[in-house]
Amino acid sequence: MTEQTSASNPGVFNVELVLRQARAYLAFGDQVRLFTDRLDRTAEAEADWGEALQRHFAEFKAAIAQSAENPAANPELARLWLLIADTWSEAAAALGMAPKMIPEALQHTEEWRAYQRTQNDYFSQLRDTATEALDLMEQRLNERAAAGKAVGGLRELYNLWVECNEATYGRMLRDPAYSELNGRLLNTLLRCYVPQEPRS
Amino acid sequence: MIGLTADQIAAEIETFSNRLKQGAQTLAEVGEIETGVSPREPVYQEDKLTLYRYQPRVNQPHAVPLLIVYALVNRPYMMDLQEDRSMIRGLLDAGLDVYLIDWGYPDAGDRTLTLADYVQRYIGHCVDVLRDRCGVDKINLLGVCQGGALSLCHTALYPERIRNLVTMVTPVDFQTPDNILSHLIRHVDVDLLVNTLGNVPGQMLNFAFLSLSPFRLAGQKYVDLVDIFDDAQALKNFLRMEKWIFDSPDQAGEAFRQFAKDFFQQNKLIKGEVIIGDRRVDLREVVMPVLNVYATQDHLVPPAASKALAECCGSRDYAELLFRGGHIGIYVSSRAQREVPPAIAAWLLAR
Repeated sequence: MTEQTSASNPGVFNVELVLRQARAYLAFGDQVRLFTDRLDRTAEAEADWGEALQRHFAEFKAAIAQSAENPAANPELARLWLLIADTWSEAAAALGMAPKMIPEALQHTEEWRAYQRTQNDYFSQLRDTATEALDLMEQRLNERAAAGKAVGGLRELYNLWVECNEATYGRMLRDPAYSELNGRLLNTLLRCYVPQEPRS
Repeated sequence: MIGLTADQIAAEIETFSNRLKQGAQTLAEVGEIETGVSPREPVYQEDKLTLYRYQPRVNQPHAVPLLIVYALVNRPYMMDLQEDRSMIRGLLDAGLDVYLIDWGYPDAGDRTLTLADYVQRYIGHCVDVLRDRCGVDKINLLGVCQGGALSLCHTALYPERIRNLVTMVTPVDFQTPDNILSHLIRHVDVDLLVNTLGNVPGQMLNFAFLSLSPFRLAGQKYVDLVDIFDDAQALKNFLRMEKWIFDSPDQAGEAFRQFAKDFFQQNKLIKGEVIIGDRRVDLREVVMPVLNVYATQDHLVPPAASKALAECCGSRDYAELLFRGGHIGIYVSSRAQREVPPAIAAWLLAR
């Protein structure tokens, strides 16, 4: 007797993963379009194009950074930044530890407050890293301009943004302080844990 | 500087949106995503474990069976993902008689399983089954990733039962400076984790893996998917990988506790301090021929973590096989199919 090897747990592809990132990409595109629109108009009106570029890129960065400070203001754009925070929240939810799932009594305990503080530290570090990525992106764009290389399209710009985020995030990841924060994040969460129905 | 105009960007956004709409239809039509292509049959079962034999692809397969021990993390169908991306098929084509341990999905009843259960009992019983079945004293063992570490432990404890050992992307020194997983788990209170949760949820491990490269793995990858929405075959390949990535079994609590603490946090394997059951694992007992296969771009098991085996195993016939690629590419890339299984098979058949 033989059998095909398809008896594994049938994971259904979550289309929402694609849609979320597609929406975030489109929101990114909107910001870039606004930025280039302003830049196009500036190019016609101003002599000091370099200074104008710096100013408009600062506005572009501010718009993206603001979305991280206040995700509700532009949730699609915020999703670009909050990828890992979202993944963490989903992992915590799998343990029954999403804020909506926590009994109110627990939300007043020191353990829960300690977890919230750690989570804030964690998200804050992610935001700082993402801001550094925008600085790096600006630097790379300037280097390209100096070398006479144009950006081929929105996707190329997005890929550059990803590359810069991976670079700054990767530096953060390897920092001993991040190792400590990562451990503290999980440890403080676990100290809040209220046993659920047997999950496995 | 940028060389883009607002009109260009608007046009690109429109194209992207249109592709996205078309993609919804392609996804609906793509059908069942099958994983695993090579016919096989179960030859032994114990608890959640199933030992499979793959149908040979030559008339007279090699007399010494090859047992593949996969990691406890993720599912072993990565070794046999699809017809043109199957390490197992490559080994079969080369004339080997291939068996594989499928660990199944641990549940609450498995939380007390220890590493001794995996290394001594489960692997031990599978080795016994193959020795009896094939009429040989020794079998060939191929351990993959964490399964390689388990195979090393088993081999060090029972060297008389293993003829040749192949380790594939296997960590031996868990604290090389570039070992990011070890870095991330360093401050995790593993006792608190296991005492609190029992088994460790697969979703937590997914988080750990995605968090190594989130902008690529959780963002860019899905944006790029839009480019292949009109290619049903490429889309199926993507979905197959995606299924594997998120098909993460929970980890039996006690086994995870020991692996995380002894291997990752205290690096005891290379120090000769791991205790399995009541026996110490001394890698100098690994005296049979060893082929150590590693990937130069491996972000999960850095080459240095694998190559450390050269200095601490007792084999006088130690060889390395370098693959220019990453931890996943070594199983599924086209080049891996051409390079890795034939090289492993040739090395085994010569011994």
